Amino acid sequence: MKTLLIGEYREGKLLDSTYELLGFAGQLGAETAMLLVGSDSQLPACGGTLYLADASQCGEYNPDLHKQLILDAVQKENPDYVVFLHSSYGWDLAPRVAAKLRVAQVSEVIGLAEGGFEVGCCNAKMRRTVKPATPKAVITIQAGAFAPQQPGGNPSVQKVTASVMSNVTFTGYEPAEAKDVDLTRAEVIVTAGRGVGKKENVPVIAALAKALGGELGASRPVVDAGWVEHSHQVGTTGQTVSPKLYIACGVSGAIQHLAGMKKSDFIVAINKDKDAPIGEVADVLVVADVLQFVPALTAKL
Amino acid sequence: MLIVVCIKQVPDTTQVQIDPVTNTLVREGIPFIVNPYDTHALEEALRLKDRFGYRVAALSMGPPNAEATLKKALALGVDRAILLSDRVFGGADTLATSNVLAAAIRKLHDEFDRVGLVLCGKQTIDGDTAQVGPGIASRLNFRQLTLVDRIVNLDSVGRKIRVSRKLEGRHEIVETPLPAMLTVVRELNRPRYPKVPLRLAAAEATVEVWNNQVLKLDEQNIGLKGSPTWVSKIFSPERAKGEILGDGIAEPAAATRMLIDRLLSKDLLAL
Repeated sequence: MKTLLIGEYREGKLLDSTYELLGFAGQLGAETAMLLVGSDSQLPACGGTLYLADASQCGEYNPDLHKQLILDAVQKENPDYVVFLHSSYGWDLAPRVAAKLRVAQVSEVIGLAEGGFEVGCCNAKMRRTVKPATPKAVITIQAGAFAPQQPGGNPSVQKVTASVMSNVTFTGYEPAEAKDVDLTRAEVIVTAGRGVGKKENVPVIAALAKALGGELGASRPVVDAGWVEHSHQVGTTGQTVSPKLYIACGVSGAIQHLAGMKKSDFIVAINKDKDAPIGEVADVLVVADVLQFVPALTAKL
Repeated sequence: MLIVVCIKQVPDTTQVQIDPVTNTLVREGIPFIVNPYDTHALEEALRLKDRFGYRVAALSMGPPNAEATLKKALALGVDRAILLSDRVFGGADTLATSNVLAAAIRKLHDEFDRVGLVLCGKQTIDGDTAQVGPGIASRLNFRQLTLVDRIVNLDSVGRKIRVSRKLEGRHEIVETPLPAMLTVVRELNRPRYPKVPLRLAAAEATVEVWNNQVLKLDEQNIGLKGSPTWVSKIFSPERAKGEILGDGIAEPAAATRMLIDRLLSKDLLAL
């Protein structure tokens, strides 16, 4: 079995998640070749063939051009799977490649299963095993779902380029809105989930964060409801964090949230439902009403 | 110019429950909603209609009861609402679904009005695949712009669109000629509520239903037969649970003490 892994550079830097692609291929027991649009000043430490295109010529993202580079590499390698990360890059590019190759796509894979790939659905309450029925398939893997392969080795680099007419004109990047809190640097994060009930209850959670010298985090539903600013959001559409202590208050634990915080050193979940998915990653779980328990805890600190 | 919005009726996944015996989704009594991301696509289409006078058609593929979802779109002000419903469309994965939607868009383009924009939510909340919008773009050979959080400019004379795409930690500004397919994120806008006169009119208005006698698609490309991914199993994930500390409901004070002791023993309270 063979995989063509599509690694990623962002703002000129090779992403660490490239090693998760290698970890995924390792779990499959597959041979690997990789394609990167980046620069030879930063190469991944891994074996196998590396098709390297120059981002200064091909753009950090140019859908038509990058698609062509991938199709060229598919032609040479004839892989069983073309594998992306489920990032904005893979999100946009993977379906283009799947359509052009006329093959199945499986999105946001979180694990391998007998007879296929495991993906989450229905807000992480359920999982599905999906099997591609075409000889080849395009896969995107969820960030954090596969343990990264240890860096090691030197790829055999083949420089590649492509030229295609593109209908999309890139005019520039704009920075995201200024964050009023950088959760990635926080040592303690106390997160408010839907279980806090309403906006007026958020200060209860914020008070615990303050008492512990930490920052307030929030799950997506809480941000979507306008209870907490987006800059506090933890998860794949917010910030990915790994503090020393993470306390999830009334957070059920959608898979996108778990992906953003499961690397925290010590995770406490406070939740009414002992079966909530947050229990999957928590070190300890307190089954309690958040609005009774959290103030009581804060008062004792 | 016609703007087509693709919307899907989905179970409210915040309310789905697992049957502990059969380990499957309990479907009874779960309310259906319009896929939340699609409501932002709908809102943006209506804003473009308000501003430029474009016509808007809402499309949905689903069972007959998905008519309710399209009624909501009519109540918000779309000009046409079309339900793509047929037994042979059933069991479709993302590819087969995009074949049906693309065929319906092509038909609208040929028989009703030139389609300049197709708007979709960035993903659905039940399937989470984010493949249908791009699939439509590929089949129609429309430009694909995913994760759009702002339409910077729509030049209806020059027939081009400039958008901001929401990436990790930054936005990408790109421009492309029409026709284009956009998938949109929540930051794009705040959806409106239906106004009473429109709601009353919607109650009277009919949702058109197109089956495969209308679309005339080869059955090899639709429904279960046209689906290159197979779902072999749907199940509730098993979990290695964290240790449960005390009983926070019956004895909150004891549980508080246990948690503080645990945090102290891990040296986590002096941070």
